[in-house]
Amino acid sequence: MSEAPPEVSSLAAASREAFAAWVAASAEGRLFGQILIRRCSSGYSLRHAEDAGESNLEAHEDPRSAREIAKLTERGEYRPLKSSPNLRRGWEIRVSDSVELAVAMSYLYPAGIVHWHLHRGGRLGITNFRENATRQSGLYKRVQRLSDRGVQDAARACCEDAVCLKKTLWDVDERTPLEMRRGDGEIPCPEPCSVFISFARRVRLFEREERDETGLSVSEKEDLAALIEAAASGAGEVEFAREAEFEKPLNERRMRYRRLTLVPRLRPEE
Amino acid sequence: MKALVIVGHGSHLNEDSSLPVYEHAQRIRGTGEFDEVVESFWKEEPSMRHVLDTVESEEIYVVPAFISEGYFTQQVIPRELGLEGPVTRRGSKTVRYAGPLGTFEGMPDVILERVGDLMRGRKTSGRTALVLLGHGTDLNKNSGGVIYMNARRIRERGLYDLVEVGFLDQEPEIGAVVEGVAARNVILIPVFIAEGWHTRETIPEDLGLTGEVTLLGDKTVFYGAPVGTHPSMANLIAARARETAREEPVVRSAT
Repeated sequence: MSEAPPEVSSLAAASREAFAAWVAASAEGRLFGQILIRRCSSGYSLRHAEDAGESNLEAHEDPRSAREIAKLTERGEYRPLKSSPNLRRGWEIRVSDSVELAVAMSYLYPAGIVHWHLHRGGRLGITNFRENATRQSGLYKRVQRLSDRGVQDAARACCEDAVCLKKTLWDVDERTPLEMRRGDGEIPCPEPCSVFISFARRVRLFEREERDETGLSVSEKEDLAALIEAAASGAGEVEFAREAEFEKPLNERRMRYRRLTLVPRLRPEE
Repeated sequence: MKALVIVGHGSHLNEDSSLPVYEHAQRIRGTGEFDEVVESFWKEEPSMRHVLDTVESEEIYVVPAFISEGYFTQQVIPRELGLEGPVTRRGSKTVRYAGPLGTFEGMPDVILERVGDLMRGRKTSGRTALVLLGHGTDLNKNSGGVIYMNARRIRERGLYDLVEVGFLDQEPEIGAVVEGVAARNVILIPVFIAEGWHTRETIPEDLGLTGEVTLLGDKTVFYGAPVGTHPSMANLIAARARETAREEPVVRSAT
């Protein structure tokens, strides 16, 4: 392709070509999320970054095989959020051109290369939490009442690199920046996603709870009891809730939120 | 260039919900009718907020993989995609928004194909009732209405002694319908988009079904897979998109 077609209708094409050129410009390949993408004689090679030096990988040539690869974790758990750092290893996809590369990327990190391209050009539109919340209805309307503190804690629990590799670009609102490590990766996050909104809804429910004479809320006691039960069942037996199962105590993001909001109350001297 | 965007509900918890959308998208890609076929979801990625940016085509057809007109098709999808009606102009792009699948004239044929698959090689004697099972909700009469509409359309073809409807979340409740229907054979077809908790767990448990064929007292109940996972739904989705091409674009200045 000699030249990118005109602007509005061709954002996807321009992004695709810019991404392919960015990959081709690096001899050692580029890291995007957990993927290492390298130019090779037949086109492009994609694999898990931790498989950089592996030679015995399951080989794929159909770019749409990326969908199956991105679907489940190593342990066979469903991945609702493709930017979670739990992509399975052990595969390589070889594609012939930039179009196929974009197709494979669209399943590994949906909309990732368009956002990457816009962000590099300083043109990525950002939607802050409050603006996004205004749009919510039905089950999720209650996130409109989440406090600023609640948004901050929810974002730290739900969006940092330990649980999501996107770089969080949105804020609480235009005057209230998020106080978190926004992420080191290449994939921008321009707006709270549906997993975050679902988590924010849960945090809003926590916020509304009252604490009894012990200083704990009902859900905090539920979580502590579940942790005790889990630990008492023996090492290796702990079964965590699924990634977006926020109504269950042993959910990683829910526990990250407790670490921010409950642990300081349990250990005030630290 | 022409793009088809299929919008599904999706799930944060399992892959069942989005699977038919991916499978139908792949089937439609195979026909070559559209230059691009893209999946998008409410609960999965790419979100409706961002999917249109990933599409190259200027002519975009959006088909909701939903059974009935309601909260998602009337509020959530138009809001998230920024649609202004059946036809929306965005810069040089024209986005045409189709209605849900369940109300489409081709739906009874897909239901009957599902019945055909279930009953292939199976002999029955005595009266046979087809029972369409909908989710239903008292919050929106369209949810149940679309099931009644399909039952009426199939009834008009005179293929079964009886064609009845039953629901999970509104009257008439499906258990009572199956129990009370005056037929020896009951063909039960869930008018759902995807397999899931209801089709795999709550429905079989509540009705006491043990598989595709269950003897319940003097009745034999044949339990089919949901209509939405049938391969012919892909044709229905493409036809739904084609139909919207008849709408004239609203002339609007680019913003």
